Amino acid sequence: MRAFVLLAALLASTPLPAQEKVNRRIAIASDASIRIWNLAGITRIIGWDRDSIAVTGTVPSGAFYMGGSGTGAKLGVERPDGSKGDLPATLEIRVPRNARLWVKSASASIEVSGLTGEVECSSVDGAVRVEGSLRLVVAESMEGNLSVYGPMSVVRLKGGGGTITLRGARGDLMATTVGGAILLTDAALRRAHLETVSGPVAYDGTVAARGTLEVITHSGDVTLRLPTEISAEFDLSSFDGAILYGLSGKGKGKGEPTPQVGKPMSFTTGGGDARVTVRSFKGEIRVLKP
Amino acid sequence: MTCRDFEARADAYAEGRLSPREAAAFEAHLDRCAACGAALERAAGTPPGLTALARSIEPAEDLWPAIRGRLASLGQRPGRVAVPRWGLAAAALLLIAFSSGVTAVLLRPAPRTASATLDVSALEAQYAAVSEDLTGALEQARSRLDPATMATIERNLRIIDTALNETRQALANDPGNPALGQMVVAAWRQKVDLLRRATALGAES
Repeated sequence: MRAFVLLAALLASTPLPAQEKVNRRIAIASDASIRIWNLAGITRIIGWDRDSIAVTGTVPSGAFYMGGSGTGAKLGVERPDGSKGDLPATLEIRVPRNARLWVKSASASIEVSGLTGEVECSSVDGAVRVEGSLRLVVAESMEGNLSVYGPMSVVRLKGGGGTITLRGARGDLMATTVGGAILLTDAALRRAHLETVSGPVAYDGTVAARGTLEVITHSGDVTLRLPTEISAEFDLSSFDGAILYGLSGKGKGKGEPTPQVGKPMSFTTGGGDARVTVRSFKGEIRVLKP
Repeated sequence: MTCRDFEARADAYAEGRLSPREAAAFEAHLDRCAACGAALERAAGTPPGLTALARSIEPAEDLWPAIRGRLASLGQRPGRVAVPRWGLAAAALLLIAFSSGVTAVLLRPAPRTASATLDVSALEAQYAAVSEDLTGALEQARSRLDPATMATIERNLRIIDTALNETRQALANDPGNPALGQMVVAAWRQKVDLLRRATALGAES
């Protein structure tokens, strides 16, 4: 009890950084490059149809900065005295839809929506979520989840232990994790390269005509749910895991062998327009109907 | 991009901090400016021609020992080769890009030519050397990194090392299996990429 009282007294006497509201705005070009730096808290970025940046939120006193004009701007939160340590802040930032963003975080979550331009997000263990229809999405987090929703043209994702989730993916995708899962729903990619060490991979959708889907994993299970009428060359290989093929007999390809552990499967369905390659060391590979 | 811009951005490029558009401009300048290409190679300590590796699928010669030798001959302290931080990151990026290209070629179902045969041992030697140096750089950065971040990095490294050991053992038992070779290279690529990202975090802290 005495320790608790002492702890409570100590906490009560520790000065928390004072917070202040921020409400700033600057004019900027519609395709400007904008660098955003907020290490802890929340960074919410919303595209809008104005040639300006507007920032609202709550930040530690004196820690917010913002500057720039024309084609470039930067804003963010840092300790006024330049010392180390992350200051938590909540920022809601409106930017031109076609802007090109570079966003840095440590533990802060990053949420991006309504953009059509390009965004590059980097975090240590914060989550990154991007929604919309952007030309380019690059996101990286050592431990946080990475979520991308919508038909982006080009997506590059690097995770670690967090889960990578994509919904409605189109275009060109490269996604890698270490232990985290890679989960795709409603996918119709032209080119996809998915790589994990121990995380599972689940792909639900189709592969565009003349498209490619490549999956490499060490021990994660791979589940592909593909249309029965898919026209593709399949090349499936698991050194020490089973391969289960469950597409309907209607689309069954010529020379399709009986699944076995440790034996690669190569076969073609339809005209073989797309290409599906899976390499696993000891994970199970399943090709199933939707 | 001017040569001065190129020089100013080399550090950020090597650490992957340039935006995609800036990186593309950087690479375009590298493609057309022989002087900057040569300067980059000199600074990274790489032998002439390494910067062209990403555009080639030919298996590399065992480059890293030569890099080490050159750096050592420049008067670095014995035992530990003092590679410039961004030069080390650049070497890692080039190696990752190169092996990704080789893997992509091998994943194609088309008949494999002799030139596309994966020389796993040569790639492993390069990856091991880069990995060792990046591990040293990470150790130096350890005190600047948050303990929780360091724990995350180490947990991910253990997962990769387990995979690497298992696939290497399997390849040793079945050396002619190209799929196993791809798995070994993939594990190395993951390890070097994670170490590169981790050292970049350390540099930013």
